[in-house]
Amino acid sequence: MKKALLHVQQLRLRFENQLDKDILSNIDFELKKGETVLLLGPSGCGKSTLTFCLNGLYPRELDGTITGDVFINGKQSTDYKPGELSRHVGVVFQDPETQFCMLTVEDEIAFGLENLNVPQQLMEEKIDNALSLVNMSAFKESAINSLSGGQKQKLALACILAMEPDLLILDEPTANLDPVATKELVATIENLKRQQEFSLIVIEHQLDGWMELVDRTLLLNKNGELFFDGSFRNGIKHILPCLREQGIWLPKVTQYVLQQDGLNEDFIPLTIGEFANQSHYWQQPICNTAPQKKRNVEEFLEINDISWVKNNNTIIQNVSANFYKGEFVAIVGANGSGKTSLSRLLAGIQKPTSGTIQLNGKPLDDWKEETLRDEIGYVFQNPEHQFVTNSVYEEVAFSLHLKRMNTREINKQVSSILKVCQLSELENEHPYSLSQGQKRRLSVATMIVDQQHMLILDEPTFGQDTQSTMELMKLLWERHKQGTTIVMITHDMEIVHHYAERVIVINNGEIVADCNPNELWKQPKVTLNAWQLDYPIQVQLQQICKKDTCYVSTQP
Amino acid sequence: MFLHNLNPCIKALTIVLLVIMLALIFDPITPFLFMILTVILTFLGGNINWKKYCLYFVPFLVIAFGMLWTTIAFADAPANPHEVISLVGFDVPKESFVTALALAFRVLSVAALSLLFILTTNVVDFILSLIQHLKVSPKIAYGVLAGYRFLPMMKDELAIIRSAHRVRGFNHAKTLREKWNQYKMFSIPLLASSIRKAERTAIAMESKGFTGGKERTFYRRITITPSDWFFLCMMIMSLLGIAYISWEFGYFKWYNGEL
Repeated sequence: MKKALLHVQQLRLRFENQLDKDILSNIDFELKKGETVLLLGPSGCGKSTLTFCLNGLYPRELDGTITGDVFINGKQSTDYKPGELSRHVGVVFQDPETQFCMLTVEDEIAFGLENLNVPQQLMEEKIDNALSLVNMSAFKESAINSLSGGQKQKLALACILAMEPDLLILDEPTANLDPVATKELVATIENLKRQQEFSLIVIEHQLDGWMELVDRTLLLNKNGELFFDGSFRNGIKHILPCLREQGIWLPKVTQYVLQQDGLNEDFIPLTIGEFANQSHYWQQPICNTAPQKKRNVEEFLEINDISWVKNNNTIIQNVSANFYKGEFVAIVGANGSGKTSLSRLLAGIQKPTSGTIQLNGKPLDDWKEETLRDEIGYVFQNPEHQFVTNSVYEEVAFSLHLKRMNTREINKQVSSILKVCQLSELENEHPYSLSQGQKRRLSVATMIVDQQHMLILDEPTFGQDTQSTMELMKLLWERHKQGTTIVMITHDMEIVHHYAERVIVINNGEIVADCNPNELWKQPKVTLNAWQLDYPIQVQLQQICKKDTCYVSTQP
Repeated sequence: MFLHNLNPCIKALTIVLLVIMLALIFDPITPFLFMILTVILTFLGGNINWKKYCLYFVPFLVIAFGMLWTTIAFADAPANPHEVISLVGFDVPKESFVTALALAFRVLSVAALSLLFILTTNVVDFILSLIQHLKVSPKIAYGVLAGYRFLPMMKDELAIIRSAHRVRGFNHAKTLREKWNQYKMFSIPLLASSIRKAERTAIAMESKGFTGGKERTFYRRITITPSDWFFLCMMIMSLLGIAYISWEFGYFKWYNGEL
């Protein structure tokens, strides 16, 4: 048996402002050299806090109390000098924007080496090595702010790899990336794993792609307790209801298979590959649950040949489309393709450089700001940006106050909206003190309280766990059934497949497809990948089944 | 372009010395000539877009003109009230005019020197040089550098918050008071996210082994070469030279507590 690289014993941690609540509670686990572990848990369960305990940031920087021990290479983490532990443990964080302090790629990688007092003459080689490991050699002298999100995460990885740690921790590294960039990053890590020996802890929401890599899974619950340590397959087999209750994501293929009848308990596929090998279990063609499409003929928003130019860059180019009453539209495309810009033009937040937008037959310019907001609500990517008051109740009541509605009426309307959004018990809380999922629902609540006819949302499911995502989608679906037009920017192909009646694909500022999702899935893989998209799991499985039946039928 | 390749610290030192010397001189001709020299040197020795340069220079011109005007308007009673010159229809005592001109050119010559430094110096090099030569604590220097990356991010975020509030039903602020109130409202989400970002950056830096300690190696060694000292000497000699010329022609005057 290999020696333990990391040993966590009875770790318990509390923050100073909440001394009666354990953030981490009696955590015990071991990690062997070269092992890959997946750490899962609902948002706010202390995953990131655990990371800080492992890389020595806590207890040094902790405002609170900590008991228990963390041993790294047999030595207690508190016995390492400040900064010394970074030779052993490296972390890649979630937000690609805030991990850097230098301006160019090579300087950033050098920063870590300088901290370790690596002699100058050795640095160049280490930098080149690290960059080639993540396939970024061509960007050595580039400015960091010219990189895409995916490239920034690869750079963050390169910075850590240059320091040659024994343990690499990835703290939700793909949370801010689009599906193709995510795949690329996972592939990079897989490749690394093959080339070098290091232990790896992956903290993730989105499990797809990682499952082939991991040896073991650790599950944390909302109370910061480690409630499972073993193979994920066993976890699903034995404590599935528990996983569901904790809002832990399952791989999409697993989720899908678990919904099917005639479940074979012995073999639950965790990856597409496993499913493909076992696809004869699932012979019956998988039925399509995409909603029935009926196109409402009543036009709501008509955009005619609009373009938008910013700082001499054409962001949106000659886009025309109509939006009809009661539609559920998904806007998809790569990061930086112009989705957000288009949605802002639709909502009248930005004015197009050329072309016209008409709402109910009247140009958007002729609408007064207040009446326009009664028609179209817009939910920004970061809910906090939209909060203007000090309590949840006031937040929702704000626009009603502006309309000088009487207090009784306001009270009634706000209560009903809060109930719909499951925020009733929180009405006196400060909006900033809510959880991510609650903040998101509150931002939606403020935008539907006036019975707006159209709701535009910019990546509303971003960074949320399963449960909050499901609650949000339920809420939107209710609105949709009541006739609200929903336009939603998303990277999640499952949502597109299950909810959208129509999907608009943006590539380099142009609409390259505007059709029913089912039509989109008929496009060849190359085309979808060029648009930085992927098939939803259900379609992938169907394709596998179809291939199998073809294969079987051609046998003599 | 040799100005870009100079050691940033020596360049800064040169500028500081020159500014101190200029502050001791109080006649219009010396700073004027030195300003011309600085501007010529900036364009010869630096790779600079002249449009950008003019744009940066405009605010200093405005300030200089304001100084000129107020110094004339609020001048002390002149010693020789009969020596007047005519200025756009007004008779102005020559003495106050010369004083005003001296002040205005002093502002412009200092501005020209500052622009020479700002437009030809790389921020990262300057900060590294501060750490390596002036022994500034890495904790502060790298903090400043990380903050420097934040400025454009904050600008973008402010624009987003502004439109987010507009969607909530805030109209365009018209009066100054309304504008002030609106900025107060923007400041909360902006601060909240800036603090969070700063914390994340700090954590990322510490995770890469940054302790703020002085012992560290450097990927980029900023060097001091003889040409840096040559630049320093040359600049000081030329100011002395110009001062000598204006003295020969009888213009030169020390600063003597005027105003």
